[in-house]
Amino acid sequence: MSDTLNDTVAAQAVVLDFEDLFESAPCGYVLADRDGRIVRTNRTLLGWLGHAHDVLVGKRISDLMPIVGKIFYETHLAPTLHMQGRLNEVAIELVRQDGKRIPMLVNAVANDSVDEAQPRLRFAMFLAAERRGYERGLLEARNKAEAAVATERADAELREQFIAVLGHDLRNPLASISSGIRMLDKESFTARGKKVVALMAGSVVRASGLIDNVLDFARGRLGGGIALIRYTDEPLEPVLRQVVAELRSVTPGREITAHYAINEPVDCDHIRVGQLLSNLLGNALTHGSRDEPVRIEATTTDDELIIAVSNGGEPIPPDAIERLFQPFFRGHDRVRQGLGLGLHIASEIARAHDGTLVARSDTIATTFIFTMPLTRPTDLPD
Amino acid sequence: MPNTKVIRTVLVVEDDTLVRMYGTDILEDAGYEVLEATNADEALAILSEQRDVHVLFSDVDMPGSMDGLDLAHVVHERWPHIHLLLTSGHHPVQGSDLPNRGKFVRKPWSSEVLVERIRGFLPA
Repeated sequence: MSDTLNDTVAAQAVVLDFEDLFESAPCGYVLADRDGRIVRTNRTLLGWLGHAHDVLVGKRISDLMPIVGKIFYETHLAPTLHMQGRLNEVAIELVRQDGKRIPMLVNAVANDSVDEAQPRLRFAMFLAAERRGYERGLLEARNKAEAAVATERADAELREQFIAVLGHDLRNPLASISSGIRMLDKESFTARGKKVVALMAGSVVRASGLIDNVLDFARGRLGGGIALIRYTDEPLEPVLRQVVAELRSVTPGREITAHYAINEPVDCDHIRVGQLLSNLLGNALTHGSRDEPVRIEATTTDDELIIAVSNGGEPIPPDAIERLFQPFFRGHDRVRQGLGLGLHIASEIARAHDGTLVARSDTIATTFIFTMPLTRPTDLPD
Repeated sequence: MPNTKVIRTVLVVEDDTLVRMYGTDILEDAGYEVLEATNADEALAILSEQRDVHVLFSDVDMPGSMDGLDLAHVVHERWPHIHLLLTSGHHPVQGSDLPNRGKFVRKPWSSEVLVERIRGFLPA
């Protein structure tokens, strides 16, 4: 059995024409002496280069390279080859007889074991035009993708700057209208006139809230974050009461109960905490059941301020709870109103105060709870 | 209001007509005498003629040669006795940026807060 196998292998060995295998191999061969002088090349390489064999013999292999490649070979490749005994997948260029350059990949070995008469350096060369093409294509695709991302980022920034400027400029006429409405409110009107003024006031409150949220969002995106102006010497409760009164006046027919027990001074930005309450209350009035009251609890413990806003109605599904505080999130219920920034900004205001804003929802109630420390935890001694 | 009371004067500087009118209404209802200017130049012209202004109540964001903050500094230099109250919906000013222990009230102000700030300088 094994005899038969050996016989077969031997028979094949006899049939193989090594000379032809060398000459017409699917790669170019160069054999050179230890100084890189060409001793022999194969037909494949001669075909690629357009040179006759005799022309090449005796030249240095680096003579086949363009000037930059020549320097690279002498300073890097040749020393590496001598020291490490091999080169793998090195990208080079060879110059054809007509002067055109062909990209190649080269593997080489320096063989010590053969006797001195044999060529020491053996090079195998592969055409790399296509591979280079692929690489260049990949590189171009990557550059294009990067450019697209950069453009998109610049566009987004421009968009956010635009929003910031627009919101900023809208505030002025709105403040003007609001002042006008407050003055009209003191005049005597028919019952119908009074109702119109009240409705206009409500619209201004809503528009102002929207603009504040959009501005804060744009500012946050532009890297400004939510800036706080803290007033410790002024009480927080009147600010909260005013927010509640404002929203009560624009949602007649809805019951809003509020319970305040703020017994400690709170180191916070009063206007921002008012805005947070306004956003939570607005959210509860929009999404809560119309037949059930919205409840507000604002209390202090020894070290924390807690503001909770609850409403009745359908519970929020668990997967939606996770996304409530993301910008532009709008629930799937039939009420689609506003930009979906209110809860996001509220959570950002909480964060700016080193506090938290969480939502709990079940069939009894949906409650948003804001908690923040009464004093700044990051206060460092000078 | 009893006639014996000293009338205190507030100069309101605000470029938006309705906002200025509303502020004026609030302060007049609270018993102050109110002068109005639409920008810093007008305000300085009024102050040059009128000796007895007690409070400058100015918007920060105003068109013209100077904004409310610049105006506050100029007024303090020339009439150091005048109390300063600045307001803005856009640019919060820290008290430390203001001369003469000036104060800041954020827009939109409610009548209660505005009157309370002015009373902090001068009881009506």
